[in-house]
Amino acid sequence: MKRPANPGDHLQTNRRHFFQNGGAALGAAALGSLLGGRSSAENTGASTDHPFAPKAKRVIYLFQSGGPAQQDLFDYKPKLNEMNGEELPASVRGEQRLTGMSSFQSSLPIAGSHFKFARHGESGAWLSELLPHHQKIVDDVCFIKSMHTEAINHDPAITMFQTGSQIAGRPSLGAWLTYGLGSETEDLPAFIVLASAGKGGQPLYARLWGSGFLDSRYQGVRFRSGEEPVLYLTNPGGVCSSRRRSQLDAIAALNRHQFEKEMDPEIQSRIAQYEMAFRMQTSVPEVTDLSDEPESTFRLYGEDAKKPGTFAANCLLARRLTERGVRFVQLYHQGWDQHGNLPAAIRVQAKETDQASAALVQDLKQRGLLDDTLVIWGGEFGRTSYTQGLLTPSSYGRDHHPRCFTTWMAGGGVKPGYTHGETDEFSYNIASGGVHVHDFNATILHLMGIDHEKLTHKYQGRRFRLTDVHGEVVESILA
Amino acid sequence: MVLVSSFARAEEPGFNRDVRPILSDKCYFCHGPDDGLREADLRLDTAEGSEDVIESGELLRRIFSDDPDERMPPVDAKLALTDEEKEKIKAWVAGGAKYEKHWAFEALPDEVTPPNSSDDGWSKETLDHFVQDANKKRGRQQSPEASPLRWLRRVTFDLTGLPPTLDEIGDFTEALDNGKDKESAYRSVVNRLLDSPAYGEHMAVGWLDAARYADSYGYQSDRLNTQWPYRDWVVKAFNDNLPYDEFLTWQLAGDLLESPTFDQRLATAFNRIHRLNNEGGAVFEEWRIENVADRVQTFGTVILGLTLECCKCHDHKYDPIPTRDFYSMSAFFNSIDENGVYDDSHKVPAPSLFVPVDDDQSAKLKQTRQSLADAETAFEKSVAEAKKRFGDWEPGEDQLEQLPDHIRSLSFDVPYRNTLKEKVYYFGTGDSYPTQALAAVEAKDTSIPRLKPEHSDDGAAEETDQASPRLALQLDGERGIVMPGIEPFDRWTPFSIVLTLKELKRNKAPSVIAQASYGQLTFNGWDLMAVDGHVEFRMYRVWPGNAIAVRTVRPVPGNQWIQISGTYDGSSTAAGLKIYLDGAELETEVIRDRIQKRANIGGFHGGKLTIGQRFRDRGLADWAIDDVRVFQRALTETELHHFATGEPVEPNPDFFVSAVDKDARVALENLTSAREAMVMAEEAFLAIPVMEESPEPRETHVLTRGEYDAATNDETRVVRKTLTNIGPDFPADAPVDRLGLARWATLPDHPLTSRVFVNRMWSNFFGHGLVRTPENFGLQGELPTHPQLLDWLARDFLNHDWDIKRLCRQIVLSATYRQDSKGSDELKSADPENKWLARGPCYRLSSEQIRDLALATSGLLNDRRGGPPVSPYQAGGDLWRESNSMSPEYKQSVGQDLYRRSLYSVWKRTAPLPNMLAFDAESREVCIVKRSRTNTPLQALVLMNDVQFIEAARALAEQALLSEKSTSKRIDMMFRRLTGRNPDKSERDMLTELFESEFAHYKTDKSAAEQLINSGDSKPNESLAAIETASMTIVCQAIMNLDATIWKR
Repeated sequence: MKRPANPGDHLQTNRRHFFQNGGAALGAAALGSLLGGRSSAENTGASTDHPFAPKAKRVIYLFQSGGPAQQDLFDYKPKLNEMNGEELPASVRGEQRLTGMSSFQSSLPIAGSHFKFARHGESGAWLSELLPHHQKIVDDVCFIKSMHTEAINHDPAITMFQTGSQIAGRPSLGAWLTYGLGSETEDLPAFIVLASAGKGGQPLYARLWGSGFLDSRYQGVRFRSGEEPVLYLTNPGGVCSSRRRSQLDAIAALNRHQFEKEMDPEIQSRIAQYEMAFRMQTSVPEVTDLSDEPESTFRLYGEDAKKPGTFAANCLLARRLTERGVRFVQLYHQGWDQHGNLPAAIRVQAKETDQASAALVQDLKQRGLLDDTLVIWGGEFGRTSYTQGLLTPSSYGRDHHPRCFTTWMAGGGVKPGYTHGETDEFSYNIASGGVHVHDFNATILHLMGIDHEKLTHKYQGRRFRLTDVHGEVVESILA
Repeated sequence: MVLVSSFARAEEPGFNRDVRPILSDKCYFCHGPDDGLREADLRLDTAEGSEDVIESGELLRRIFSDDPDERMPPVDAKLALTDEEKEKIKAWVAGGAKYEKHWAFEALPDEVTPPNSSDDGWSKETLDHFVQDANKKRGRQQSPEASPLRWLRRVTFDLTGLPPTLDEIGDFTEALDNGKDKESAYRSVVNRLLDSPAYGEHMAVGWLDAARYADSYGYQSDRLNTQWPYRDWVVKAFNDNLPYDEFLTWQLAGDLLESPTFDQRLATAFNRIHRLNNEGGAVFEEWRIENVADRVQTFGTVILGLTLECCKCHDHKYDPIPTRDFYSMSAFFNSIDENGVYDDSHKVPAPSLFVPVDDDQSAKLKQTRQSLADAETAFEKSVAEAKKRFGDWEPGEDQLEQLPDHIRSLSFDVPYRNTLKEKVYYFGTGDSYPTQALAAVEAKDTSIPRLKPEHSDDGAAEETDQASPRLALQLDGERGIVMPGIEPFDRWTPFSIVLTLKELKRNKAPSVIAQASYGQLTFNGWDLMAVDGHVEFRMYRVWPGNAIAVRTVRPVPGNQWIQISGTYDGSSTAAGLKIYLDGAELETEVIRDRIQKRANIGGFHGGKLTIGQRFRDRGLADWAIDDVRVFQRALTETELHHFATGEPVEPNPDFFVSAVDKDARVALENLTSAREAMVMAEEAFLAIPVMEESPEPRETHVLTRGEYDAATNDETRVVRKTLTNIGPDFPADAPVDRLGLARWATLPDHPLTSRVFVNRMWSNFFGHGLVRTPENFGLQGELPTHPQLLDWLARDFLNHDWDIKRLCRQIVLSATYRQDSKGSDELKSADPENKWLARGPCYRLSSEQIRDLALATSGLLNDRRGGPPVSPYQAGGDLWRESNSMSPEYKQSVGQDLYRRSLYSVWKRTAPLPNMLAFDAESREVCIVKRSRTNTPLQALVLMNDVQFIEAARALAEQALLSEKSTSKRIDMMFRRLTGRNPDKSERDMLTELFESEFAHYKTDKSAAEQLINSGDSKPNESLAAIETASMTIVCQAIMNLDATIWKR
């Protein structure tokens, strides 16, 4: 889709609610004419006069569920190793609350990372040895070392990240984006959810890709590995595609007949939805079938990408979906919740995610897609610099830590090769440049060309928005 | 065109109708009721507040100003005034700037007079006069009446959620054909439907959305709960036509009614079925506050149509509700003995109510209680007799030394070795993970006699020849001393634990001295705790609401060796828990004294008797421990005195009865067995969390930003109070509790309760309420399309004893409801959303109705009512565990349970059934009073490919094949069942053509036909030819996908 000449028209002209929004498109178009041409922008509450042109058209969000330990991956803190085993100074801990899992510990000894750190790329970003493939993308990535949130348990924390509230009932980020921007594809959902298969760990909830109080058409569609990538996509046994076609033709003819009697545009919309469903039965298997990828792709993403449902396969699938105009691909990789036995467990996690995360950024870049695709990597909170459970020479654990953690973004209008914000020498508090979840989400919307204060929906008498009444765009990370 | 407002017709703008919506939306955020955020000390929501700026002309000057520094709302505000809005305000000011009270906060009028319209015979019910009168003023005609069959289908779905059966269609048609009085034919249909049990099942759905009823707890591992008896109560209440004021009162305060019935107590689950967290590490108070807030929010939305939750953090921006009101309201809902979380499914949150799931359970409980009473009498008698025998007793040499019922004793005097691990003790974290040994220290400066190594289970014989040094262990709070192989003690088991300890540093926070309990968040079992020097002894299933517990009145001495003992007599009473210091019983206060069901049920982590530590709890960090003794008997004081001082056991009657006399000991064994049997009879009951008022109201405070740990003081303290500015005064003679709150909410002049409910009922029939924001009757809500009608309905409803069935009857028999839904193009373009009600209702059926339609028409429907939720077909295998390995697994039901009404399908909050979700079912994580109705390709995929619908299509096709001879008659029959009418000729032709082409196809591929008709668990009818069944299945499925089927028109 061409960028409209006048960026101010973007929200209006791009609003093609075809797949998820099929009903809205026809419905809204019909409604629009009935209302004397009132644009659906008013219905969405999205701004039509935002001052910034979108930098990103699409988002791929690699959510690392469980809370990756920043000290072992990105946030190099030699002080922790120097003071390994010593009690975390009370002055550092301050008055901050702990979870019920470590607040009853009799001591809070510091656990230095078991992993070696080095600087990489022209930007000189620190990475631990757990992330060798990230070395290749550090100059494309913008690290935010100073993320923070209020929630201290997984469920409220991940719900906060994805819906802007700890409490259920609000639309997810992807739903807001689909609601505000519509779809760029007629054959696929605008908002697709992928999760690594068989991971266990902290759960994923339907509300994370739900539509909250927005119309349910804006909720994400879960793609699954295996024979049926979308639930109910496959014809029943004994019904082939051509027979289905003739059945659909009959349904369409009967519905048209009904339309002539009732003259309700919803009937036309329903006819269109059935056509869309039929197209999806082709387009979804096509996009999820990776067999047309050259061997070089699998060298880039790793052999894991050949196994459906792995993080690597999902990263590759995300790229394919993005190429076909899907607005928002939400990936999840569970298993970062290392309360105990962290050194061994985090190795597995890093191995599962490092290569494909880096490959995705490289792949998008070489295809010229990185400029207008925003890639996001991060979890719902960080982990404590003191050990949870006993500190032994070979092992330690880390409890939840909402006060500082690291995420990264790449492409889509963020500053490449840049690091924003700092933590103190214990990676326990933010030293500078704090970025709250609301700031983070405001920035994502900004990059998508949306003023986070203006993308609102009136519900229960109040104009709700993703960022509640908070959020400041983090200007310094904008390219 | 839709903006043909009164203003466009050059009427003077009314404040409520025209001006307030503008001011509220665009100005009140800064110049409204919120004291905390008011700009320039100007408020525009009251006449007093705006008097100056209106009189001086400043208001108009600022809103019309071209100067960006002057203009209001300011340039950086998110909202600007449109020219039309400015003109409206100007006209309002010109007309004298009259303020009106917000319509929904005005008391419900005592009487509402219907418009005196010239009756042209159109109206059937009083309500029609209001509708017609308004349309006459608009110069509009009402639409003609829909055909009787259309009305029949409409009313059957709207009252029962099901389609009319062929018989019902036949009877109705026959009645009309036979010249029976049409009105009485219509009326008898309505009576039949209202009397049908399906009525309650259908009406319950909307209420369950509002009450956020679900079958799982909703956070993290999202385990299944036991709340379905509440769902069944809601169905029953609707079917019994419980008046709405009682319906509310029971749910809000059934427990506070005089001698509440089982149903009245059950109904209070309304305030307990919100979500609950069980995440490891959850802070209890944070979640308790969250749950109470959910109750207030639900009360506000469902009953009052107000959004109270904004006031959790600040004064309401639009409605006159200060933050203090939110907390004063929350004080009604927070005085139950709860902890804010749950642990796992076995431990139903307290307070809870037993629900017998079969008749045997109650009988069994009664019988075991009687046996227990008998055993108690027998025991008392035996004790009395034993005391008589005491005088004849000559203690034997060993009897005062070798105390019976000993289980284990540890001296720690011989260093730990691995051979002890299996049967004696080991060091562990989390009760079970063996770890390195705790450091030993020498125990000096004590007069408490040592437990000799040779008398302990951890002293080896060869090492006792020489006196080994007296050693103790230095506890660190992380590693416990775990004693394997001790049968867990439960409510009925007498036991004692005797510990020689030294506290080195006092800790205010509760720390575990000893325990045998399970759990990952809360615990269950028994424990002995140190709390700022006091000792607490507890036995509990759910702390604190289901527990017995005592605490010493005075602290025990620190920094010296002491012997602390806990003894329990198995009586399930706090009095049966005793704490001793150095062999002398300590005065205790009762903390909790009611326990139900077993205390020691298994669960995550733990279960073994452990000293000084518990999984994710605070252990004893700065203590040393020396001797440990465990007995399976409540030791007597003289025995404990003996351990603490070395003085010999005094042969007294208590000791004799407890330790010596055979008969008394047998009587105690019998009593213990009877106690166990009674507890196990309790254990069989289902329990459901309900409301049960604590004796003292919990202290309640305004919490800054709603944070549970906000600072509180005298200023922040609030008492129970209803809204300051909305609604009538709290009835002077009402108790200040939930019962009084219910009375307040149902006062006859209450401005909101009846309007809000009548409005929601209206939307059940028309798709929208008369107020189109049923969730918000506040200033930001929409104005009623028919304010007089709403008031009349509400008053009439109240005057007729809040009779819900009567209200339904009025609506479905009204001329307004009977109208054809089609409407002219001109009407549709003038009123696209049917706000004027100049045509009948039409909208897509709900997820439940669509699935139930398929089941009912195919004959698969199993109309069993009530009971635990069932698990219908779910695509994609186990979706529950696919992304939640902590979740229970999805176990698809077998046989008839696959075909129950959708109301009974299991409702998993974090992973709702995908075919229901596709048709806009709610997750029920929070209360919802209006569902969306979308139209998406996923719906097409569900209806075309979900085995539920394929199987139903086949079953209906088979019935058509069996009951009719010709293809066209078969098509007619299926069409009639699904759409409630006969197909017209072209519909019949198209479907016949489809049948023929499918038939031709399946003839060439019989195996495909067999594959299709074998979808689902029920077997195809073997007497029919597969090719025919398959072809007819495709045709049936096509009909099932039509607008004519899944829309109500």
